Amino acid sequence: MPEGRKGRTMVLVDIRETPSAKAADIFLQIRPGKDFELATTLRALVKGQHVDAGRVAETGVAVERLQEIVDRMKRARFGVIFFGMGVSMTRGKHMNSAAILSLTAEMNAFTKFVCMPMRGHGNVTGADVVLRWTTGYPFGIDLSRGYPRFNPGEFSTVDLLVRGDNDAALVLGADPGATMPQPGIDHLARIPTIVLDPKVTHTSRLARVHITTAVTGVSARGTAYRMDEIPLPLRPALVSPYPTDEEVIRRIRQAVAAKPAWTPAPATLKGSPYTSDTGRRL
Amino acid sequence: MITLTLREPPPVPLEADVLSPDTIAPLTIDEIRALPVQLGKRQRRLDDFFAVEGEPSDEVEIHGDVRRVKWIGRGMTRGVLRIRGGAGMHLGSAMAGGTIEVWGDAGDWLGAEMSGGLIHVHGNAGGQIGAAYRGAPSGMTDGVVVVDGSAGLEVGMRMKRGTIVVGGMVRDFAGLQMKGGTIVLRDGAELRTGAWMNRGTIISLKPIALLPTFAFAAAYNPTFLRLYARRLAPLGCALPYDDQQGRYQRYTGDSAVPGRGEILVWQPRG
Repeated sequence: MPEGRKGRTMVLVDIRETPSAKAADIFLQIRPGKDFELATTLRALVKGQHVDAGRVAETGVAVERLQEIVDRMKRARFGVIFFGMGVSMTRGKHMNSAAILSLTAEMNAFTKFVCMPMRGHGNVTGADVVLRWTTGYPFGIDLSRGYPRFNPGEFSTVDLLVRGDNDAALVLGADPGATMPQPGIDHLARIPTIVLDPKVTHTSRLARVHITTAVTGVSARGTAYRMDEIPLPLRPALVSPYPTDEEVIRRIRQAVAAKPAWTPAPATLKGSPYTSDTGRRL
Repeated sequence: MITLTLREPPPVPLEADVLSPDTIAPLTIDEIRALPVQLGKRQRRLDDFFAVEGEPSDEVEIHGDVRRVKWIGRGMTRGVLRIRGGAGMHLGSAMAGGTIEVWGDAGDWLGAEMSGGLIHVHGNAGGQIGAAYRGAPSGMTDGVVVVDGSAGLEVGMRMKRGTIVVGGMVRDFAGLQMKGGTIVLRDGAELRTGAWMNRGTIISLKPIALLPTFAFAAAYNPTFLRLYARRLAPLGCALPYDDQQGRYQRYTGDSAVPGRGEILVWQPRG
């Protein structure tokens, strides 16, 4: 890398001066909950469009300052936007992320730009990647019709739990009992919840069943996906007395497969105009 | 008229897109009772959940708390659907004609991608009214949705034509990525109204917070509002358009797209 760090410019955007600010060349302190407004303003400035200076100032950063940042972004030969949960989990949620994604896409009219979400704890990237290549969607998927349907807000975990739409839960590699809104936690306690985890979590305390499993990467083999979606094989260093997550799920699947079929007997649907023998649509 | 009465609220959401006049009208009572509905991954009969009575007709009335019943009136083209006691998600989604009236609350995706007809909700509604489904390029293309109460997020997201009227407060992102049509906000909205809109009209009768990417254009009384006021008056929605009463502040945007949509904010005289 020519010039190393010296040849690079780091801009930090945050609502408070975190320790990262010392490492940054430019620090933009914005008002809380103004991420969408800021990213949308940047999108307009990138295209040379008019913005209202007074309303831009409400984000905590003056329009002249943002114009400088936009000029700098356009001058860059390769830009990367990293964004974290301060963007994706505050008011506006997915639309804040969408604003960053759109800004990045539009920057490519001028120079090479990419963006990357900074993921939370656990192998979130791995879950997204695997769901994507198995179903075509990263999360918020319903399979009850036998094919994947994607609708965040309708099928995403937090919404299902808060509305109380599900009557059972299997929790794997997550601790919703620590992070969900209270109505969601109450619903997890109300329904039969099964937790697979190496340790006792907040969710295990309100679950009907907790199954202790081996720690992947320590005492169980597996694959973790790095933040940039590179799969990394994990080899165990220790031997665990507990089964792996995979083994537990496989045994649950075998037990479920041994149960009688759930499909209703054809007799119960007889006379339905929707059955194929009447020739109408199914 | 066919009357369906919910026996008891289903334990998990019930998907009942058969509950539309188009499906029900040509059938006998026994055939209606045997219509398939989806409970979780199990297919069940309609009369497992609803008591079905009356004479086959394209007037359908649903009684009971059906807030967990999804897809009612999906793709309907004619007839009348009356719901007394709230409705679940996707009510009147993709409908092309007919009337749906709800005495109670409606869920998210009310009238999503509809292309005609009238939906009137006397209570509150959820988000994504008349919206485009995830990944779809455009939402409702015609028809009218009237909500007397409040509404949720992303009302009219990517809508192309048609009219949405909300009597109460609307949450964030009303008119998100709007491509055309009209949204009337009688009690204003929370934040980010008209975000990323391309075209279309958002009329707010209360002052609202605007994005920095909207620019003030003029203060006037657009002529077309007289026509709109006349059309919406029978639905219980009065729109002011008289110079004696006040004027509309017109803002254009969203310059981030860049779009040529308009937000008209009513300002009473004095």
